[in-house]
Amino acid sequence: MVVSLRRAVITGVGSLTPLGNDGPSFHSALKDRKSGVSAITSFDVSTLPVRFAGCIPDFDAKNYVDKKDRKALRVMAKTIQLAVSGAQCAINDSKVDKEKLDRTRFGVIYGAGLIATELNELADAAIVSSSGDPIKVDLDIWGHKGLEVIQPLWMLKYLPNMLACQVSILHDAQGPNNSITQSDVASVLALGETFRLLCRDRGDFFLAGGAESRINILSLTRNSLFEELSTDNENPQKACRPFDKNRNGMVIGEGAGVLAVEELEHAKNRGAKIYAEILGFGAAFDQKKDGSGVARAINAALKEAAIDVSDIDHVNAHGLGCKRSDRIEAQGIRSALPKTPDVLAVKSAIGNLGAAGGLVELIASLESFQTGIVPGTLNFENADPDCPVPVLSASRELRKNCVLKVSMGQTGQCGAVVIRRWM
Amino acid sequence: MRRRIVVTGMGVITPLGSTIPEMFKNLVAGKSGIGPITRFNAKSFPTTFAAEVRDFDLAKHVKDPSQWKDCGVNSRFAAAAAQQALEDAGLLDHSKADRSRFGVYLGSGEGIQDFNNMISLIARTYDREKRSLDCAKFATEGLKFFHAGHEAEQELHTTPAHLAQYFCLEGPNFNCLTACAASSQAIGEALEIIRHGDADIMLTGGSHSMIHPFGVTGFNLLTALSTFKGDPQKSSKPFDLNRDGFVLGEGSGMLVIEELEHARKRGAKIHAELTGYCSTADAFRVTDSHPDGRGAIACIAGAIKDSGVRMEDIGYINAHGTSTQVNDRVESLAIKKVFGDLAYKIPVSSIKSMMGHLIAAAGAVELITCIEAMRTGILPPTMNYETPDPECDLDYIPNKAREHKTRNCLSNSFGFGGQNTSLVVSAFQN
Repeated sequence: MVVSLRRAVITGVGSLTPLGNDGPSFHSALKDRKSGVSAITSFDVSTLPVRFAGCIPDFDAKNYVDKKDRKALRVMAKTIQLAVSGAQCAINDSKVDKEKLDRTRFGVIYGAGLIATELNELADAAIVSSSGDPIKVDLDIWGHKGLEVIQPLWMLKYLPNMLACQVSILHDAQGPNNSITQSDVASVLALGETFRLLCRDRGDFFLAGGAESRINILSLTRNSLFEELSTDNENPQKACRPFDKNRNGMVIGEGAGVLAVEELEHAKNRGAKIYAEILGFGAAFDQKKDGSGVARAINAALKEAAIDVSDIDHVNAHGLGCKRSDRIEAQGIRSALPKTPDVLAVKSAIGNLGAAGGLVELIASLESFQTGIVPGTLNFENADPDCPVPVLSASRELRKNCVLKVSMGQTGQCGAVVIRRWM
Repeated sequence: MRRRIVVTGMGVITPLGSTIPEMFKNLVAGKSGIGPITRFNAKSFPTTFAAEVRDFDLAKHVKDPSQWKDCGVNSRFAAAAAQQALEDAGLLDHSKADRSRFGVYLGSGEGIQDFNNMISLIARTYDREKRSLDCAKFATEGLKFFHAGHEAEQELHTTPAHLAQYFCLEGPNFNCLTACAASSQAIGEALEIIRHGDADIMLTGGSHSMIHPFGVTGFNLLTALSTFKGDPQKSSKPFDLNRDGFVLGEGSGMLVIEELEHARKRGAKIHAELTGYCSTADAFRVTDSHPDGRGAIACIAGAIKDSGVRMEDIGYINAHGTSTQVNDRVESLAIKKVFGDLAYKIPVSSIKSMMGHLIAAAGAVELITCIEAMRTGILPPTMNYETPDPECDLDYIPNKAREHKTRNCLSNSFGFGGQNTSLVVSAFQN
């Protein structure tokens, strides 16, 4: 393992979540056991099997983006708008003076997912090219008449690398720029890659983030077909139950989580507030679907962090709320950490934020470092012998200074990060 | 001492061949893989041609193609190219090498949305009076007509997961989709993962196809594609004054890269050493590169510095060379800024003149081309080069392959959004 003398610290937090649009209000809502999961009301979901989600009420990117840059929002899907808004929040929180930053050493690494096109944007083209009963599309017509009625920059509004690219353009960040598209693990992998880039001297200031909104009719329809979703429409706030014996599927949520990650001396020189230091990162693939990949990612992160298991206050888990996924994760955590620390799952309160999820969840722990209070896991009522980990159900005082974040995808990708409270 | 990383396996699926010897032979012969689009009826589109992979049959490549039946072509191309690369590296057998130290980092694209299904759904669920889609109706019909497996396979993380699952690769698993720079960036970051010690071997590269109605629609709307009216095989003309856009290609390029001592211990055949990598952002516009090439300059210079190779020892540049006005001008400018007078002495070519632009997969196939060029001592040409552009005044190896021994090559990839990646690959020496 290459040992670097450079140290990476977190100096800013941007979180747009179903439970508040800044770190302190998000943490406080979690602590007060509030739920951000609710019925979807912004469009007609009456024919979907699942009619609730973790929605951000009244999100408007104009409230976050500089007036001079608002025009650019027109070529950004909601996911991208969340990404640039979250970036602005993280920059504001870091209080960095952008004018003093070396722009070539300012990087942006984001997690991103598939972005659904807004169907109305294709409607005119669809109608002009379709006829008959049953309706058929005529590509001969689409190719000329259809194309004429779609806006020219249509595709750029939905490319997954536009989260990080639009952020780089708005903030003139000319350093490394990457878009990691690994489903629910994406933003934790993005943070890990940021940590590596910073330690190998490729930059001094980074925005590591993730953003995603699947709360639109196309994404929800598609996801209903292949994701294991809870259908507890009667009780949305109770629907997501990580590690609980009666868990019955995941809940989709939306949001953005962005961290300002900075080289320690760089942060000290400008007198930055430091939340935490990133100590270790590990990634693996759970090929056997038995948690061994989760365990390897955890072990790699812990080894690099060079901390003792007894230094970990809590494991901030992936905790999806699905039968198999939670079982695999719990077994992986248990096998890596036989003396398992308390396990916290945030998704029960906000849903699965996809590419944003890992970092939004980590922000709950970063705010615990600030307040000294760790929130409990909502909806954890009945322990499941298949998930042999101590789930933290009620909030409590922070006792130790390290947190292990675990993130995993249903196809097997795993990531783990260790952070330590800055004192 | 920094860990040294070598290439021990390679595989390709391209419009010019589904093995490396076949592809390279065609490139050296100046053959074109471009022709009329056959995947769908593109007759009325502004662009009617592309470079398609022909006669692709996954069963000829992998033992059990049924595992890939719901996948898009991106995953199927990836499976075939990965199979070749692992076989070439002698690592197909799961007992070979510690699989927990063997990861995946791809720059692989999305699966393909079923155009007819989707557009006809929109047409029949649009409420003309309200001038808006009827969401309830759309969901009802969508649940009925979308195929669950195909929908799941469109997600951006599926290809790297399939490869890891099928070939038992249990190390770090990443995918980046940074437009046209994706597979180059993936290779660069895979290199860094091994350098850092997070893995000993990585399967890396990319796979993509955007030859479908949505892809051509999107690029035509951006006026990024060539709309050349003559012979399609003459349409892609990188660095020529009359270039008018790129030509879509498709395919996959995969490499097995490995820590040198690890490769030595198992007696692996070493194709080349991966010596330099850098990526930067233009931070300028989503559509155009920075007019002064600031991101590209920093990127090329950064990769050469990282490689430790002297400028004068770079013997070939495999250009991004898309055949768009902006890219080819800015790329030429950036090469000149970095290399100074030396720039005029270094042969530069763009194989996109023959196989089009493989988008996310382009960089990997181009890096493999560099390795073959070093091995054989033959540089592939830039075809269709007829009219010099005063702003593109380098040696582009016009129209005819050239015998030229070189020990170090630079490969550039630049993408929409201002993504820049450069790689340096060197002949291996102890």
